[in-house]
Amino acid sequence: MLEIRNLHATVAGKDILKGLDLTVRAGEVHAIMGPNGSGKSTLAHVLAGREGYEVTQGTVRFEGKNLLELPPEARACEGLFLGFQYPVEIPGVSNLTLLKAALNAQRKHRGAPEIDATDFLVWVRECARVMGIDPKMLSRGVNEGFSGGEKKRNEILQMLVLQPRLAILDETDSGLDIDALKVVAEGINRLRAPQRAFVLVTHYQRLLDYVQPDFVHVLAGGRIVKSGGPELARELEEKGYGWLEAA
Amino acid sequence: MSVASYAQVFERCAAAWPAAQRRARRAKLEEFLRLGFPTRKLEDWRYTDLSALAERSFEPARRTAVALQDALLPRSDRLVYVNGELDRNASTADELSALVETETPGATGVDALNAAFATPGLNLALGPHARLARPLHLILAGAANPQAAMTHQRHRIHLGQSAEAVLLVEFRGAAGGDRLVTQTFDIRLAPGSRLRLYRLQDEAAGSHLISRMDARLARDARIDIVCLDRGCGLARHDLNLELAEPGAEVELAGFYQPAAGAHLDNHTRIVHAAPHGRSRELFKGIVGEKSRAVFNGKIVVSPGAQKTDSEQRVANLLLAPRAEVDAKPELEIYTDDVKCAHGATVGQLDETALAYLRSRGIADSDARALLRRAFALEVLDRIAWPALRDRAALLLGYPPAAETALDP
Repeated sequence: MLEIRNLHATVAGKDILKGLDLTVRAGEVHAIMGPNGSGKSTLAHVLAGREGYEVTQGTVRFEGKNLLELPPEARACEGLFLGFQYPVEIPGVSNLTLLKAALNAQRKHRGAPEIDATDFLVWVRECARVMGIDPKMLSRGVNEGFSGGEKKRNEILQMLVLQPRLAILDETDSGLDIDALKVVAEGINRLRAPQRAFVLVTHYQRLLDYVQPDFVHVLAGGRIVKSGGPELARELEEKGYGWLEAA
Repeated sequence: MSVASYAQVFERCAAAWPAAQRRARRAKLEEFLRLGFPTRKLEDWRYTDLSALAERSFEPARRTAVALQDALLPRSDRLVYVNGELDRNASTADELSALVETETPGATGVDALNAAFATPGLNLALGPHARLARPLHLILAGAANPQAAMTHQRHRIHLGQSAEAVLLVEFRGAAGGDRLVTQTFDIRLAPGSRLRLYRLQDEAAGSHLISRMDARLARDARIDIVCLDRGCGLARHDLNLELAEPGAEVELAGFYQPAAGAHLDNHTRIVHAAPHGRSRELFKGIVGEKSRAVFNGKIVVSPGAQKTDSEQRVANLLLAPRAEVDAKPELEIYTDDVKCAHGATVGQLDETALAYLRSRGIADSDARALLRRAFALEVLDRIAWPALRDRAALLLGYPPAAETALDP
């Protein structure tokens, strides 16, 4: 589904990713862990097509397509979702307006008609229930006045509504209390399916107690320096990252 | 400068006016010939140049057929003028049409020109405690004439003690033609009266619209105004509000989004002439490619107007390199014991918000429209007339909000 080969990327002229390789197949959950500044968020942003990140070398193919030449909105329409580490507040654009515009843009891309207004509301309310989000908040501006935890839950709500094929969640677990973490994990687990894949970018092992990954990778110095199964996450939790960075 | 063509047109019109009017009109014409159109040397006209009008020649405009279907709002009364002539078939309140005198003194040559050629307009006079049963929609439509044409109208809105009214003044124009339109409004609000006034402008390219509204608020009177400007070749609005007696209140909001090639000039002047007045003013604008907006908001707190509470806020989005906005707040405060706040900003669309919306699959142009609407909502939400609010959003080209489907 996703094939990253020898990816090099710079931010403001600084080399951050230095030859990253990663293959994600349908149905898999990958966790990418690593110390601060190792390039985790850069990887997420490069994949989502955020401005200011320059790819200097390497290829990224998503479902066989060259992901890097697609504008961000086209990547989303192809089924890629990025859960932001710091979701933006947009006063004046309600959550419902965002969700409906996004859903219809993606449907249009697939040649499907616009969603019926009633079906849309039923669907969004169901997703909000799963995420423990008060339906009243849906009429408020996107993330406007939301707490940190509410913003993260709102990211997962968007993911549930949009049903992407590949979700990249950038530190979605950071700043969450244990109850919010369980709700977020429940949202992710609900979406796990044979045709879908996840990349969880995280600093901590905590989320992986609730979302069992198939693979764990350690990103350090802009490259994947070690890959393994779920046991690698526990090892990292005990030993920290120092032993890998030194290696 | 030569404004001779206006004198020639005057002589041709004069025969049709009753002798009693001729004298006063001629005096106004002479005043106009002396003053001419305001030039950019006048501080209040620095950014809007009317000098080219002096060399022009405009025939008195004649009524022609014009489509009004999309202007109609449910559950309201209508008074419709096309090129300054009353359209009785389209009006439901034609008894309110009259040639009116105004008590406000003129300030510029344009005011004199308006008075010299004035034709009938709205004459609304409500007695004490009277209340207009339905909102009144005054439609001032322009339509193409074979020659360049001009329209000059005067209107009067006088509310008696504790009277209430909702009024929508709409300047609209059919495409084509070249016209000069001046519209003058004389508004008097007796103690405790309340006027909710909407001013909507969507004139066509090629038009010159100059409007002036003067409102005087007596004790505890209140005026709520929402102004929206979209089209036009050149539009200049002067809005003068005088809080003449204690306890008067002004709530003023405006939004402008000039179409390509348009020049929109809003001049507002709020004079606190008595103690315990309250005014709130918010103007926002979005200015894009090859268009220009001017905003000048003056607040005057006269000597003796203690406990005045006044706020003014202006915010603009400049969306293209060749767009221009000249925003100027002006405060003149001659009293100590007052609360006055003001602020003006010019900015761009929030790139982070734009990136976020696009990351969800929303096309760049749609995402920008959502953000422009978000910016405008603060003003649009002041429109307490849902059908008008929807029309205004449509006029500005905004997508409908998803949450409207929440309330069946």
